[in-house]
Amino acid sequence: MEMENKASNIQVWQYITAILLIFLLGYHLLQRIPWLFNVSTFDQTLTSAFVYNQYKEAGWALLLLAWVALFHGLNGVRGMLFELHQGKTYNNIINVLFWLVFIVFAAIAALTIVKLPAY
Amino acid sequence: MEACRKEILGGVIMSDDEKFRRIEMENRQGFWKASLNPWLIRAKNNPERVAFVLHRVTGFIIIAFLLAHILETDSPVWSQYVPINGLSGWSAWTYIMGIESAWWARLGEWIVAGAVLFHALNGFRLLLTEFFGLGIGKPVEPKPPYEAPTLNAPQRTWLYIEFVVALVLWAFSAFLIFG
Repeated sequence: MEMENKASNIQVWQYITAILLIFLLGYHLLQRIPWLFNVSTFDQTLTSAFVYNQYKEAGWALLLLAWVALFHGLNGVRGMLFELHQGKTYNNIINVLFWLVFIVFAAIAALTIVKLPAY
Repeated sequence: MEACRKEILGGVIMSDDEKFRRIEMENRQGFWKASLNPWLIRAKNNPERVAFVLHRVTGFIIIAFLLAHILETDSPVWSQYVPINGLSGWSAWTYIMGIESAWWARLGEWIVAGAVLFHALNGFRLLLTEFFGLGIGKPVEPKPPYEAPTLNAPQRTWLYIEFVVALVLWAFSAFLIFG
């Protein structure tokens, strides 16, 4: 069995990304707490001006969060799909689909930061 | 000789291998029941099992949201090429946020918030117990009634604390989202 198909490796990557997510997701959730930013409602943390400023301040952290969360989520689904069934063709299809979805959505997330229009 | 033994079961002649396979298949819970259905699990004295299933169910909710969330947060970019309702850039963002202020969208956000809170707290417990080996007690010699020492170790207390904290934070998130 190839290294990347080993269940143990898949699980270790889940733990590594989970550790990163504690900090990245913690930061992202705090961005939605209105009282930390001198506004009074949750909706006010979602206005275009507010969100644009957060992208400008720490867009790299949000991009890293998107990549790590994507990997963690899709890798979790991949692990569950490997529990359902095993076989060379099946495993290859699952691995290709995993990387395909990851690359497409990771690229979309990157475009958000790179091509973000001015507010 | 033993492996070749045939037996008549239910009017069908089958080998030991076939018989064991049939027994195994009959007793296999299946992916849906064993992994994803929180209503069919035997939860008595087994909160870890409840947490296991909820971790998977909330994981599916979160990955579905995450994919939609990435597309949503990219809307100021892609709407320049594919306008929404004639709107592009940050105007498209404001339009989407307007849709998401509806009660049904807020309810969805609240469900996702609950899923994220439980998944994160339970994931933190799993990191401590499975990855760092904390809170699971020490190995003991197996003696009847063969109760796993991990089930009486600190991890179970952490699990109960986690359930309570997740519920409290979920209530707080309701105040934030609907308030």
